Parts: sequence; C-alpha cells; structure tokens
Amino acid sequence: MPSLSAFLKSLILLTVFAFIGGGLFLYSGFYPIGADTPHHPVTYWALETLRERSIARVAKNIDVPADLDSSDRLLAGGADYNDMCAGCHLKPGKLESDFTIGLYPSPPNLNLPEDEHAHSHGPSDSNTNAIKRQFWIIKHGIKASGMPAWGPTHSDERIWNMVAFLQRLPTLSKDQYQILTARGDVEGTHEH
Amino acid sequence: MKTLLTHLSIVLIILSGHAYAHDPSEHNEKKENPKCEKMKSMDHSKMNSDDPVMQAMMKKCMMEKSMMEKSMHHDENQSEAGPEEEPAEDKAEDEHADHQH
Ligand code: HEC
Repeated sequence: MPSLSAFLKSLILLTVFAFIGGGLFLYSGFYPIGADTPHHPVTYWALETLRERSIARVAKNIDVPADLDSSDRLLAGGADYNDMCAGCHLKPGKLESDFTIGLYPSPPNLNLPEDEHAHSHGPSDSNTNAIKRQFWIIKHGIKASGMPAWGPTHSDERIWNMVAFLQRLPTLSKDQYQILTARGDVEGTHEH
Repeated sequence: MKTLLTHLSIVLIILSGHAYAHDPSEHNEKKENPKCEKMKSMDHSKMNSDDPVMQAMMKKCMMEKSMMEKSMHHDENQSEAGPEEEPAEDKAEDEHADHQH
C-alpha cells in the first residue's frame, strides 16, 4: 500500500519540521515574555483550561471542615488575609494596587462575589467545589503566575481559616473588615 | 575559654533580644487596633447575633477591651520596674562573668 506509507512519511516529516520550527522559535528570542504583553486569546484559553482541569482533578478529594462558618476562623483568617493577601487581592475600599495592575495574569479581586449564584444559602454542590478549589490554590499556588504556594509555610488549619474568611469577604463593609482583620493587642500578647 | 565566650555572647545576644521584644513602641508601630467604636454606628437593623461576622466582631472587640485593661496594668508595672531593668541585666552579665573564673 504505497499511499499509506507516503502518508506516514509526510506525517513524520511534518512532525520533525514542527519540532525544529518550535526549537528555532524558542532559541530565536522572538517570544514576548514581558508581563505587559497579553497572551493570544487561544493561548489564554489553553492555559486557563489547563489550570481549571488540573485543579478540578486534584481538589476533588479534599475534605472541607464542617465548622468553616465559625467566628474564630473568621478572626484568624481575616488577620492573615490582611497581612499576606490584601496587597494582591485587595480589600473593601481598595479597587486596585500595583500588583493588580502589573501582574499578568492579574490577581482577581476577591472582594467581588465569584458569581451571584454562589451566594445561595446553604452549601450547594458548586459552592463546595469552589471552596475546595480555593483551598487547593492557596496551599499549592499556581505556576508561572504571581500566586504563591502558602502550604510549605502554613498549616492546613491556617489555610482553611483564610478560606473561611474569603467566603464572607465580599459581604464585608470597610469598617467590618477593619475590625475583623486588625491584629491589635490581642495577637501581640499571644506571640510572646 | 573560647566556648565560654561563645556561650556568654549567645546569652547576651538572647538577653538583648529580650530587651527589644519588650520595647512597647515596637508593638505600636506594627499593629493596627480594631476600630471598635465604629460598631456603634453600624446599621443595627442589619445586625444579627447569629451571624458569624457579627460574633467575630464582638469577640474581637471584647478581647481587645480586656487586653487593653490588662496591658494598662502591665504598663504601670513596667514603668515601676523600668529603672531596675538595666541594673538587672548588668547583674546577669556579672553572673556569667563569674562563671569564667
Ligand atoms: C503576589 C501577588 C499574590 C499574593 C500575595 C497572593 N495571591 Fe492569590 N493569586 C494571585 C494571582 C496572580 C492569581 C491568579 C492566578 C491565575 O489566574 O492563574 C491568584 C489567584 C488566587 C485565587 C484563585 C482565585 C480565583 O477564583 O480564580 C485564590 C483563592 C487566591 N489567589 C488566594 C490567595 C490568598 C488567600 C492569598 C494570601 C495567603 C493570596 N492569594 C496571595 C496573586 C497573589
């Protein structure tokens, strides 16, 4: 069957050329690596799909603590959020920062409700998945984005506290946020 | 001798760190206090004592109040002990110097 072998031959040739072409492009330096040059929409879609599929697979089996709505978690998570995350993910009354403007991909504003339906009462299925996703992202971070992995330096409990805080963050006023997150004298005495 | 000096310097470094940790001005610099007085002006019709956010705010402000009271007493004690603090440290140094002989 000469036609099939011809087909295979050209397929192999094509693959070889694609690899050589890719290699040349890589070494040529023509790729614009700057954070101020956005991805091609196709690249963006591919990367976003890669991220979401990957997280959905690994976050599936995470167990969500039952007491995620406790006031103690809000207090502990709020102070940590303010110290470690608000610079990138903002807080009530702050709409942008150097990080939200300069980072690419840009850190999402976590004060905005993820989508209006996620705030239904009682943990719906999609809400639980969103919570697992947040825990996983905070613990492991996201490659080649500004989002660090906090797992190596923080316990799961502390990360859950921040996840708990994130569930209420979009509903907080500026003053409520200030009271919940200010460390004040209380923490200082615990630290010593 | 060398190891004694090493021990001595370690002890002194730890002691000096201790002195810094107790410098109250450092605490004030880093920490923001919760503005609990703002709770009074919040919309009370929207407040619900079952709400974890509400409970958390009350907890924070109650803790803050008791801590403030405690730390006020603490400050009083400290200011009394203040002048003695340095001689106390000198004494510690002397003690360690004694070990050398
Ligand atoms: C240096 C900036 C930076 C800091 C600090 C940072 N993040 Fe992020 N974060 C990012 C970026 C950038 C993304 C988006 C990554 C992407 O799109 O791939 C992100 C994504 C996230 C997401 C996923 C949001 C979504 O719904 O897609 C969560 C949740 C999150 N961060 C939580 C946190 C928490 C909690 C902290 C503090 C412990 C934190 N981040 C600290 C930059 C940061």
